[in-house]
Amino acid sequence: MASLREMQNAFAAALRDPSAPCPVRPAGNLSIYRNNTQHSFRTALEGSFPVVRKRVGDDYFRQLCAHYRARYPSRSGDLHWTGRDFPAFLLEHLHGGEYAWLADLARLEWSREQASITRIESALPAEVLAKFTPDQLEHLVFSLQPSLALLASDFPIFTVWLANQLIDAPPVGQSIGAESGMVRLRIDGLEVRKLAPGPFSYLSALRAGAPLGEAISSAGLDQDGLVSALGFVFAEGLVCALKDGRSEKREI
Amino acid sequence: MPRLETRGVREPIPARAGIGLRAVHHDALIAESPPVGWIEAHTENYFHEGGAAVRALERARANYPLSLHGVGLGLGSADGIDREHLSRVKRAIARFEPSLVSEHACWGHAGGEFFNDLLPLPYTEEAVLLLARQVAEAQDFLGTRLLIENVSAYVTFEHSRLHEWEFLAAVAATSGCGLLLDVNNLYVSSHNLGIDAHSFINGIPIGSVGEIHLAGHARNGDVLIDDHGSQVCEEVWRLYGQAVKRFGALPTLVEWDTNVPALATLVAESRRADLILGEARGLAA
Repeated sequence: MASLREMQNAFAAALRDPSAPCPVRPAGNLSIYRNNTQHSFRTALEGSFPVVRKRVGDDYFRQLCAHYRARYPSRSGDLHWTGRDFPAFLLEHLHGGEYAWLADLARLEWSREQASITRIESALPAEVLAKFTPDQLEHLVFSLQPSLALLASDFPIFTVWLANQLIDAPPVGQSIGAESGMVRLRIDGLEVRKLAPGPFSYLSALRAGAPLGEAISSAGLDQDGLVSALGFVFAEGLVCALKDGRSEKREI
Repeated sequence: MPRLETRGVREPIPARAGIGLRAVHHDALIAESPPVGWIEAHTENYFHEGGAAVRALERARANYPLSLHGVGLGLGSADGIDREHLSRVKRAIARFEPSLVSEHACWGHAGGEFFNDLLPLPYTEEAVLLLARQVAEAQDFLGTRLLIENVSAYVTFEHSRLHEWEFLAAVAATSGCGLLLDVNNLYVSSHNLGIDAHSFINGIPIGSVGEIHLAGHARNGDVLIDDHGSQVCEEVWRLYGQAVKRFGALPTLVEWDTNVPALATLVAESRRADLILGEARGLAA
């Protein structure tokens, strides 16, 4: 008699390939399981990548799902993770073609998906800066909201994503060119925002753990830019903790 | 992690009707606090650190006793238990403090691929031993007794040597778990595979069942599909009455997962289960 493992492997093979033998009756009903597993996978992907789906249409999205599942089958009993490798898959699958930008759009949508399940920390007000001496300010290292994701693309993915929040969104011309921006979870929902190159570099440096002085100089910000960039991170509630980067001790 | 300020913490699930918590009802459940005895949530939907779903469950949890119902462990998989998934279940238990925790008598992964479906087991001695061993392992790790649910099935393995009820009773006796009797699943499987539903109910030991599920199904040609997308049908209500007569008044869940109606419709459906439970209690008094 076949072992349990052999029976499950045969069942799994029959889910992938309708012509594979499987010791069940009625064998025709295996198609119900095949449809269920395909449907769960596709539904999870549709939930994570609504704008990619909208741009390519249902039929092509179904084809992409099938190719993606063959290449990257589900590796978790938690369907949330189904789309984890979809941006990488699209990069491989569409590489060099006119739809290569969809991979970066998928990266943005997956960042949203990840941000949506992240805890929100309480934010510090800008007044905490008064607790530091001018000498300390340039050495301050910022802890930013865990949900904050910063993305840069050679394509206008933020304009595309924002435009497609309308029901009948027209196609966005790719001639707009490179864009960068942020995704984060607020208490009232997810936020997707395009950022100018200077603030994007500054936030990316802070996110990477660079001290404030270094983040400002790497972003090429002048005095006005500095004031507005600092004002932005506090006003947006992005700062969760501050410390003097010269000591390991967390100040606030 | 802050401890929840809850009224319902660790209160036993009452022998009343509860409803399955679905994302579309989060706001309404919190705003309306309908008179249902308890709520059941799919464990995997609340694995994450933050987000709207976990906040909603924390708030709902303050008003109702909670059951966590897993759909992703695939405890009958010959490849073993996914330890990472099991750890997440444990964290969810610590966070939400459910009064009941349940999973399914099924498998779900092989060769590293997860099928995210409740796949049927062959009813053999080997499968009894493997499922019972892995249920016991999960119970030890989670620090709680599990209820294991019969699944809807569309095929049966040629190698099966036991009736499904014999299989479930043996798993419960060997692992120490309880059973979750899904009456709609039983009805669907009995229709599709020619199982005698009455023999099934009479073959499950009294005292082993800790919870009952009710739901609707769809018909596709000759096959019934367990889609949880409609009202509970009259045949399932009749079987439910038989189950309550045998097993006594038990916590009973009404599930609705596709074509999900307004919360009030789900609550109304649960009232019918409450009436049957009330009659059973009256008879027992």
